[in-house]
Amino acid sequence: MNMIELKNVSRVYTAGDHTLRALDRVSLELEKGKFIVVLGQSGAGKSTLLNMIGGLDSPTEGEIVVDGKDISKLGRDGLAAYRAETVGFVFQSYNLIPTLTVKENVALVKEIVKDPLDAEKILDEVGLLDHLNNFPSELSGGEQQRVSIARALAKNPKILLCDEPTGALDSETGVTVLKLLLNMAREHGKTIIIVTHNQNIAKMADVVIRVKNGKIKSYETQDHPLTADEVEW
Amino acid sequence: MLFRKLLRTALRYKAQFISMIIMIGLGLGVFVGFNMEWVSIEKNIDYAFKETGFADFRLVNESGFSEEDAKSVASIPGVEDTTRFLAVNTVVKGGTDVITLTVSENINVSGFLTTSGEGYDGESSDKIWLSDQYAERNGISVGDQLSLSYRDVTLETKVAGLVKSGEYLICLPDDSLLMPDFDSYGFAYVSPAAFKKAAGYEFYTQINVISDLTKEEFSEKANGALGRTTLVVSKDDTVSYSEAMGESEEGKTMGSVLPVLFIAIAVLTMVTTMHRITANEKTQIGTLKSLGFTDRRILVHYSSYALFIGVVGTVLGAGIGYGLAYYIMNPNGAMGTYLDMPQWKLYMPSFAYIVIVGVIAFLTFIGFLSVKKMLKGSAADALRPYSPKAMRKLRIENTRLWNKFGFGTRWNLRDVLRHPSRSLMTLFGVVGCTVLLVGGLGMRDTMDDFVGVFYDKAINYEYRLNISKDADNADAIAAAEKYEGDWSAQSSVEIGDEAVLLEIYSVKHDKVRFIDEKMNVVPLSDDGAFICRRIANENGLKAGDAAVFSPYGTDKKYEVRVAGVTSSLSKSIVLSDALAEKLGIEYDVTSVYTDKAGVPTDGVVSSVQSKASIIGSFDAFMEIMNVMVFLLIAAAVILGLIVLYNLGVMSYVERYREMATLKVIGFNDRSIGRLLVSQNLWLSVIGTLIGMPLGWAVLEYLITALGSEYELRVYIGPLTYIISALLTLGVSVVVSKIISAKNKKIDMVSALKTEE
Repeated sequence: MNMIELKNVSRVYTAGDHTLRALDRVSLELEKGKFIVVLGQSGAGKSTLLNMIGGLDSPTEGEIVVDGKDISKLGRDGLAAYRAETVGFVFQSYNLIPTLTVKENVALVKEIVKDPLDAEKILDEVGLLDHLNNFPSELSGGEQQRVSIARALAKNPKILLCDEPTGALDSETGVTVLKLLLNMAREHGKTIIIVTHNQNIAKMADVVIRVKNGKIKSYETQDHPLTADEVEW
Repeated sequence: MLFRKLLRTALRYKAQFISMIIMIGLGLGVFVGFNMEWVSIEKNIDYAFKETGFADFRLVNESGFSEEDAKSVASIPGVEDTTRFLAVNTVVKGGTDVITLTVSENINVSGFLTTSGEGYDGESSDKIWLSDQYAERNGISVGDQLSLSYRDVTLETKVAGLVKSGEYLICLPDDSLLMPDFDSYGFAYVSPAAFKKAAGYEFYTQINVISDLTKEEFSEKANGALGRTTLVVSKDDTVSYSEAMGESEEGKTMGSVLPVLFIAIAVLTMVTTMHRITANEKTQIGTLKSLGFTDRRILVHYSSYALFIGVVGTVLGAGIGYGLAYYIMNPNGAMGTYLDMPQWKLYMPSFAYIVIVGVIAFLTFIGFLSVKKMLKGSAADALRPYSPKAMRKLRIENTRLWNKFGFGTRWNLRDVLRHPSRSLMTLFGVVGCTVLLVGGLGMRDTMDDFVGVFYDKAINYEYRLNISKDADNADAIAAAEKYEGDWSAQSSVEIGDEAVLLEIYSVKHDKVRFIDEKMNVVPLSDDGAFICRRIANENGLKAGDAAVFSPYGTDKKYEVRVAGVTSSLSKSIVLSDALAEKLGIEYDVTSVYTDKAGVPTDGVVSSVQSKASIIGSFDAFMEIMNVMVFLLIAAAVILGLIVLYNLGVMSYVERYREMATLKVIGFNDRSIGRLLVSQNLWLSVIGTLIGMPLGWAVLEYLITALGSEYELRVYIGPLTYIISALLTLGVSVVVSKIISAKNKKIDMVSALKTEE
C-alpha cells in the first residue's frame, strides 16, 4: 500500500528575474513501513522534496497525496494540523527548545496531538531515561538528536522525515541514531525517509532514491538491506 | 566601506535603530523642552521686569504717603529708585469690566512698555495707556475713548498707547482667581496729572522701590526713615513674581523628573539593544578580525553605531525639545494665557549642551563596551556565534506549583528568566508608561478635586461685591443684610516674619465655607482661628496651639487659639467676626458675598464679580492642565509602544528558531502567537501593578515639590487607575499583535537549516 504519492510535483522559486526549479515534475510512490534514503548533492532538490512531503512548503504544481489525503491544496492551518498528526521531523541541528527540559521537549506535543505517546516511555526507548530533567545544553549531540527523535515519535506519526540526522554526529553516535530509526520502521511500521549525503546509510535502505537537478535520477529497491552493524562506517 | 556597512546594518536592524533614536529623542526632548521652558520664563520675566522697572519692595499704607515720605525713602542708602504708586479698581462705564487704574509718579519704577501707540507722557491730563491684551479682547484701539469710574470720580480718557507691565505680568484681580481673564479684567496707567484732574486730589497708597537690600534691611531702614512700622511687601510676595517663579519651578521639576525616567529607559534599552546587535554580528566581527582588521578599527566601527544613534537621537531630541518649549512658551500657547510678557524668546540652557554631549558620549561608551565583549579572545573565538547563557533549573521548579503549569507557561517563564535584561526592560517600559499615565491623569484628578472642592463647596455665592475703601463698616454690613449676604474684611498681618492675609468673616447665610485638610467643609468657630496649611507648616502650628500675629503698621500683638488647619487658596488666618471683636481687632469690611444678581455699583459697592468669571478663570487653568496631561499621555503611549515593540522584536528574533520548530512540529500560527502575546501580557500586568502605586508616589513627590503654590492633596480617582491600566495593557496587546502577526512569515525551512 502506498503511503506517499507525488504526481508531477514541481517547486519553482522566483527571485526577481531569476527562477529556480528546485523540483521538476517529480512523481514517486512510497510504501508504508519502508526505510527510504534519498541521496543527492547539495542543491539537488532532496531537501525540497522532504519539505514538500512534510508540509513545510507547498508545490508550485502537482499533487501530493499522503495516507490517501491530498496535502498540496491545504491552507496554513490545514498544513499545521497535517504536520501535527501525520509527520515527525528530525533535523541535523536537533532544534530542541533550549528553555524546556528533555522530558518537556517531548511532552510538548501534548499541546497539539490528541493521543500522544507517553514521553517517559519513548525516552526510555531511546535510552535517555536518566536525563529527563536535563536541559538540551547539558546533553551531548547524540543525546540531543535522540531527544529530537523521541519528540518526533511522541506524536505517533505515520512518517518520520529526517534531514541529515547524523550530519552533526560522530560515526559511533550516528550508528546508534540510525539503529533507532531503523527499528522504528521494522518494529513499529513507520515510514522513514532520510535525506543524506552519506552513501553508506543507503546500504541500510529498502528504497534508495537519487536526486539530481530537481529530478529523480534513480529509484532502486533493495531486498536485503544491511543492518547498521553490518555497514562499514 | 565600513560606513556603507554601518548604513546597511542600520537598515537591517531598523526597528532597533529607529526605536532607540525615538527613545533618546523623547528623553532628551522632554529634558530640553522643560528646561528651555523654565530658563526662558526666567530670562523673559527678567527682561520684562527690567524694562518696566518692576519694584523690589512695596511700602503699603492705606492712608497714603506724602511727598516727604517718598523723599525719605529715596534717601535710604542702597535704594536705587522710588516712586509713589497707586492702583485702584475702576469700572468701565456702561459695563461691569474692572480695570486696575495705575498711577506711578516716577514711571521708571513700576512702569510699562509700550507695544503700540505713543509713549508715556507725564504731563497729559486725558491720556491712558491700556493693557494691550485687554484692548485686543475688547476691541479697543489707540485713539478710542475710555471712560472709567472710581468711587464718585469719573475719568474720561483717550487711549494713547497699548502696554505691558511687569507689575501685571500675571494679571489677576485677586487671590481667588487662578488665571487672568482679559475679557473682563485689565490694567491701565494714567499720569499723576490726569488722576489729579479727575479726582481733584493726589493720593498714593504705596511707595515702590528698586533696591538690592534684603527685606529685613530694607524694612528696618524704611521704618527708621518714615518713623513708623510700615507694611513691606517684597517682590517675592507679589503674584507676578512668585507665581511666575512657581511656573519656572514647575518646569524645573518636570525637566528633572520626567527626563530621568525617559533617559534611564533609553540608556537601559540601549544597553540591551547594543548587546543584541553585537551578539548577532559576532560572526561578522570575527570575519573582520580574521581578515586582518585591528581590534581598534572594529571597536571604532561598532561604537560608531551607538554614536550614530546618539547623534541622530539627540538632534531629534533638540528638535522635539524646541517644539515642546515653543508649544508651552509662546504668546498664544499654554503659558501665554497666564503670563503677559513683552518678549517670548526661547533660550537653550547651557547645561543642556553638556547633557547632550554627555548622553552621546555615554551611548557611544555603551556601544564600545558591547563590542569589546565580543572581541575577547582570538579571531577563531570571535568567529564562533554568540551563545546565550545555558539554561539552569529555576528554584520554583522544585515546587508542586510548577507541575501545574502548562508548556506555554514554563516556556515563557524560563524565557523571561533566561533573558533577564530584556524582560526587565519590558517591565521598565510598562512601569514607565503606567507611571506617566497615572501621574498625568492623577494630576488632573488632583486639580479637579482641588478646584471642585473650592468652587463647588467653598464658594457658595453667586456674586462677590467689592466694598469701596471709603465706605464705613455700617454701610457695608447694611449692604450685606440688604443682599442677604455674608461679608469679610481682609487685611495684612505679620506671622513669624511673613506677611499673610487676615480674613475676618461673618457667615450667617452659608455663602462662604471653609475646607479642612481632608477637603471636608468645617464650620467657622467663635473660639479659635483657622490657619491655612502653609502657615501651619511654616510656623509649626497645629490645632490647639496659640498663634501670634500683629497687624502691619501697629505694635499690637494678638494671640489666638488655632481651631483648625484649612486648605486655602490664599495664605491666610481666618477669624469669625465675633472672635475678632472679642480680641479687639479693628477691621474694614472689604467684600460681601451674595446670590443677588444685578447689584448696582455705588458709594458702597465699588465693583461686582460673578462666580462665573471666577469659574472662567478656572477653566483656563484646567486648559493648561489638560495640555500637560495630553502631553504626558502621548509620551506614555509612545514610550510604551517603542519599548515594547523594540523588545518584542528582539524577543521574536531570538525565539525565531524556537517558533520555527514549534511550527514544524505542527503548532499553528494562532497558538504560537498566543505564546508570544502571553509573555508580553504577563510582564505588562506586573508592570501595570507596579506602575500604579509608583505613579501615585511620583505624583505625590511632584505635588510636594510644586506644592508651595497651592494647598493640594493628591487625589487619584478609580477611573484614572482603570484608564491607565487599560491603556497600558492596550498598548501591550497592540504591540504583541503586531509582532505575533510576523509569525506567518516564519520560514521554517531556512530557519531550521542554519547552524546553531
